[in-house]
Amino acid sequence: MLSRVADNLYWMSRYIERAEGMSRMIQVHQSLALEYAGNDQQLEEFWQPVLKSICTDQVHLEAEGFRKIGKTLIFSDTYSNSIRSCISMARENARMVRDQLSEELWLEINNIYLLFRDGGAEKLYDQGSDHLLDRIARFSLVFQGLSDATIPHAEGWRFLSLGKYLERTDQTSRMLDTLNLRSKAPSRADLMSVLRCCIALSAFRLQFRGNLSLQNVANFLLFSEDFPRSIRFCLRAIDHSLHTISGFPSGAFSNEAERLTGSALAMVNFTSWEQVVEKGLHQTLDELQVTLIKIGQRVFETYVLLPSEIKSLGEIDSVRLAQAQQQQ
Amino acid sequence: MNPHSQFKNYSVDHFFDEMFIDEEGKSPRPHYERIFKRLDSLTESEISDRRQQADTSFLEHGITFTVYGEEGGTERIFPFDPIPRVIPESEWSVVERGLRQRIIALNLFLNDIYHDGKIIKDGIIPEEIIRSSKNFRPEMDGFEPPQEVYAHICGTDLIRDDQGNYLVLEDNARCPSGASYLLENREIIKRAFPQTFGGMSVRPVEAYPDLLLRTLEHLSPRKSQKPVCVLLTPGVYNSAYFEHTFLARQMGIEIVEGKDLVSIDSFVYMRTTRGLVQVDVIYRRLDDDFLDPLVFRKDSMLGVPGLMDAYLRGNVALANAVGTGVADDKVTYAYVPDMIKYYLDEDAILPNVPTYLCWRDTDRSHVLENLQNLVVKAANESGGYGMLIGNQSTAKEREEFAQLIKSNPREYIAQPIISLSRHPTFCEEGIEGRHIDLRPFILYGEDVEIVPGGLTRVALKKGSLVVNSSQGGGSKDTWVLKDF
Repeated sequence: MLSRVADNLYWMSRYIERAEGMSRMIQVHQSLALEYAGNDQQLEEFWQPVLKSICTDQVHLEAEGFRKIGKTLIFSDTYSNSIRSCISMARENARMVRDQLSEELWLEINNIYLLFRDGGAEKLYDQGSDHLLDRIARFSLVFQGLSDATIPHAEGWRFLSLGKYLERTDQTSRMLDTLNLRSKAPSRADLMSVLRCCIALSAFRLQFRGNLSLQNVANFLLFSEDFPRSIRFCLRAIDHSLHTISGFPSGAFSNEAERLTGSALAMVNFTSWEQVVEKGLHQTLDELQVTLIKIGQRVFETYVLLPSEIKSLGEIDSVRLAQAQQQQ
Repeated sequence: MNPHSQFKNYSVDHFFDEMFIDEEGKSPRPHYERIFKRLDSLTESEISDRRQQADTSFLEHGITFTVYGEEGGTERIFPFDPIPRVIPESEWSVVERGLRQRIIALNLFLNDIYHDGKIIKDGIIPEEIIRSSKNFRPEMDGFEPPQEVYAHICGTDLIRDDQGNYLVLEDNARCPSGASYLLENREIIKRAFPQTFGGMSVRPVEAYPDLLLRTLEHLSPRKSQKPVCVLLTPGVYNSAYFEHTFLARQMGIEIVEGKDLVSIDSFVYMRTTRGLVQVDVIYRRLDDDFLDPLVFRKDSMLGVPGLMDAYLRGNVALANAVGTGVADDKVTYAYVPDMIKYYLDEDAILPNVPTYLCWRDTDRSHVLENLQNLVVKAANESGGYGMLIGNQSTAKEREEFAQLIKSNPREYIAQPIISLSRHPTFCEEGIEGRHIDLRPFILYGEDVEIVPGGLTRVALKKGSLVVNSSQGGGSKDTWVLKDF
């Protein structure tokens, strides 16, 4: 398929996954923040680690404090990871690859875009923010269902999958990292909210019952074999997508993206909790996030750029190019 | 008539009305009888429901165009009027013959002026007119395009005067758009009026994408294998982007932007995840100016450096060819009947609108003295831009145009104000008459193919004569009826 099309599909999928993650993050934290509603100091302490984990610690300036932070994260035109921005970017990418999408898939993306464009989103928000946030999260899930059910599981679909799982790995690691960024040891509420953000609460309980501890939560989100949002699961999905695209057998590599993914997956497969503690959870997650960025760049270099263009670009330029759309 | 009929206040107002024979708007022409009866029985809310349904459907499916000049370019739907325009087969067959004659003559003309220039030597068209056309491309001198055809896809705008005569208003021989609306309008009207549609023998239009693909494939320089055809778009911000994706999808070909293509050693390739793939035919929806920064505009980011070289060596085909714009220049237009006579020794089946060429001294002084009664057009503009409608203009606007004409007479033409035919159209106040035109799409591949009818455009603003989508125009489905 056209290189640009592969790139557009990948980003469309990433932005939709990002919008879903954001909507759940906002929903969970907005409801917790009610406890601190009257106290600006406490509100700030509550929100800052979360915003920092998603690299948006300046957004409160636009929101003029922390009371309306949720609304800004949803509607901001200037903040590039706001849900509105994610939806616009997803739809913009979708518009460029309409020939690859089923009509059903396009309708879903376009309808959510029109909801934001024509003021319907604000109306829903005013009726209660959950109305809107649920709608967004559901949109993403419908999108995933439709892409599985209505388009060929060929190369384009693999790029959708690649974008989705790269974004999801990133989000799970960032949500988990919020626990490291709080000044105090994480409370029960903090642990619950991380699980909620990753829709992991029920799955977690099945495995650990009510045994809510940092160790169990981190173990679950890092290492779970079969929970579709755990880092291990997502890395395995990325590895699988990459090898299906290249046709090269898993366990070896034909390009840098495969090599980096394989080694990250090996790290997760062959690391014990004790080793994570030794290195530090934050350090572990931080290294993982750097690797994820590199994987994204290498995918871009392998499938979008021509070999001559990689050579002619300096390292910095290729990074800049790869990140041209990557806002986080 | 039903006492609550939406037609009860309808008036023909001395125009040629497509639906009604009589001045009161009571007696429909025979080919309109069924549709009239059906509309007459609908209540206002039934009609507006259908229109609402159509608008929502257009918006949701992203069947939109972009309006320039508003901030960042705004996406809008091309308003759709649910009352179809009907053309009896007996009328259409004449129009069809006229269009066929015209596209053959235009292509003979293009071939001639880029080769021996016989028509110039024989004194039919002055050389300076051709050479001074903004869209004349000297690069094409002596080039042999595949099958000697230049304009493979042409959209010729037709209007009807107060007697109902079909006249050619202009030819669009570069990158005509609108075919996607023709196809979508048909889909939507079938859903909005299933019974009415079902009971009549409306000639189908859905073959257009197949015919277009066949036209493209016919041009491939590599005869031994299945041709790789692509549609080259300026990109997602172009006003006709929806149409580009629509047609590419219908034909099952890739839609590419300039940056997706690369020219290496005089061949053109597209960049895929599996490496480079050679391209045979490019259906380009990009003006000549932007095609290749090495030959045309240096600042074009939309084109492909080296494309012209590959094209001139015959390694890739373009549809339309480079340089067809000289044939739809509004000054050249005035000579088309002469061309038809010259190349085909026939009289034009579809007459032109009488045209004054401002570069002729006598015409110019006539134009300057009668601005109030004329339509003045820039020779190389489209989309309803660069136009003065005399009787709807202010003295200041006329003065501005007079200056423009005096300083650059070659670039302006003028025509009498034709009172375009009107068609019942659903408006705020019920059904009223609105001016319309017709853009059929002519394909010239192995043979000339024209899907029956075309895109009927309607000026939705009361009294307006401008039907262009960028100027508040809408469109209608066009039915060619076999049995009439």
